[in-house]
Amino acid sequence: MEFTSFSFAIFLPIVFLLYWFVFNKTYKTQNVLLLSASIVFYLIADWKFISLLAASGFVNFWLAKIMIQKEDESFGRRLLFYLGIVFNVGILLYFKYLNFFIQSFVTLFNYNDAVNISFTPFHILLPLGISFFTFQMIGYLIDVYNEEINPTNDFLSFSTYLAYFPKILSGPIERVQDFLPQIQKKREFNYALTVDGLRQILWGLLKKSVLANNIMVITDSIFNDFHSMSGSTLFMGAILYSIGLYADFSGYSDIACGVSKLFNIKITNNFAFPFFSTNISSFWKRWHISLTSWMMNYVYTPLSFITRDYKKVGLILSINLTFLLVGLWHGANWTYVVFGLYQGLLFIPLIFRGSALNNNELDVNKFGLPSLGDFLKIMRTFLLVTLGMIFFRAESIAQASQIFLEISSSSFFSIPTIRPSYLFIIILVFLLVEWAGRTQEYAIEKLWLKYPKVLRWGIYYVIAMIIFLFGGKEQEFIYLQF
Amino acid sequence: MERDQILEKIKIIVVSVLEHDDFDMKDELVATDVSGWDSLTHMIIITSIENEFKIKFRLKELNKLKNMGTLIELVQSKL
Repeated sequence: MEFTSFSFAIFLPIVFLLYWFVFNKTYKTQNVLLLSASIVFYLIADWKFISLLAASGFVNFWLAKIMIQKEDESFGRRLLFYLGIVFNVGILLYFKYLNFFIQSFVTLFNYNDAVNISFTPFHILLPLGISFFTFQMIGYLIDVYNEEINPTNDFLSFSTYLAYFPKILSGPIERVQDFLPQIQKKREFNYALTVDGLRQILWGLLKKSVLANNIMVITDSIFNDFHSMSGSTLFMGAILYSIGLYADFSGYSDIACGVSKLFNIKITNNFAFPFFSTNISSFWKRWHISLTSWMMNYVYTPLSFITRDYKKVGLILSINLTFLLVGLWHGANWTYVVFGLYQGLLFIPLIFRGSALNNNELDVNKFGLPSLGDFLKIMRTFLLVTLGMIFFRAESIAQASQIFLEISSSSFFSIPTIRPSYLFIIILVFLLVEWAGRTQEYAIEKLWLKYPKVLRWGIYYVIAMIIFLFGGKEQEFIYLQF
Repeated sequence: MERDQILEKIKIIVVSVLEHDDFDMKDELVATDVSGWDSLTHMIIITSIENEFKIKFRLKELNKLKNMGTLIELVQSKL
């Protein structure tokens, strides 16, 4: 069941009404409803793997509880901790990466024709949301092991946290300590937050339907036929893909946050206007924030701690390994590995130049515009990100290489063969609205709030109409495949 | 070493790493309130503190830090 599907449009109001009018007695009844709704949601989306989700919840809940009863630094505690990590990573490796690793080894062995091994990939389906929920569970075990948090005894709330339907399919990767306290007390209906949530959903739907869906039709036609495209068309395709991917995933995240607000539960905002970043470090603090924070907490920090005596070399090593994993997290393909490595490499000049670049808050003039220097930095960051997106979009390294070759050929200076001018106008308007609202949680958070009610509702009606009239062909959210 | 002396030395380190003193050095100070104190600069600050006081932290201790006050106490406990 996708957020943009008709079934979700039926499902959500039912859950909303039951939550506030029937199951509103205590926090437990509220959680029973949310958990039941989440199970129904997951069953409809991917019934085959509901048992995997349940197993993940049971095992991690009990492991954390038993682990912490063992003495600090004891063998028993360490053993249980590592068993838990092996369990979670094992699930992920099996379902997501097994074929990829075997295939890569086979290719390596067959490289010089000394041996010839054939390999037929196993038929393994990818459980929906697996990368998101296993990361949440790993984070939980690490935090309990490090005594940053106490393990919870409340299995109902813990299961609700794990399966919570607004975030189960594509995140955000929420931390237990941010989520659990919210659902371990009775939620009261909050009219302002509900309206805010609905506005965020509307904005997310607009991004997904009008921008992402329309853009992806164009980029698909460009990249699926990349052989016959000029360098300029491919380059334009890459720019469109960057914006399309942002509209798609941030649109999804807005809907997720908005839906959650309807239940008076705040979840992490995954995006903070990344395209207005002046360097790559700033970009990654604003793009898929919950994944980057997870990686920073659980991968980068230990790595940079271990290598801290090697100063900048240690930092570079840690950041590159972290981004290698960020890349690989997206899927079992070398294109994602290269995507991650590329991002890591972009950090090297920043680290060598030191901390001066960390203060990257934008100063604007009286017209609300950035300085020319900052504008050029924003453009440079966008260009670097867009070049990386070619790896992200390509189906193989060979394909990405061919695209890069074409872009660096003389055909880069030809006029693109595909010129969706109407799309450029939509994108321009969109970017202007985003710029104007860049200090808020989402671009239209505070827009029109001072207008009379009638006018406001008129605007909502127009946006809804735009979604219906200009919404592109229905397409799956890209991050569902991760 | 007195608490105030530790606080002053840590402040000098933070200012030299972040290249600004636009923060109020108090026990309640948290990294997110300080411009530029992010994951990248955090470990540089930590290593500089280790070198200055000739101490070694454990990762577990760092993970438990809540604010500047707890950092000062941790340093004090190791001197």
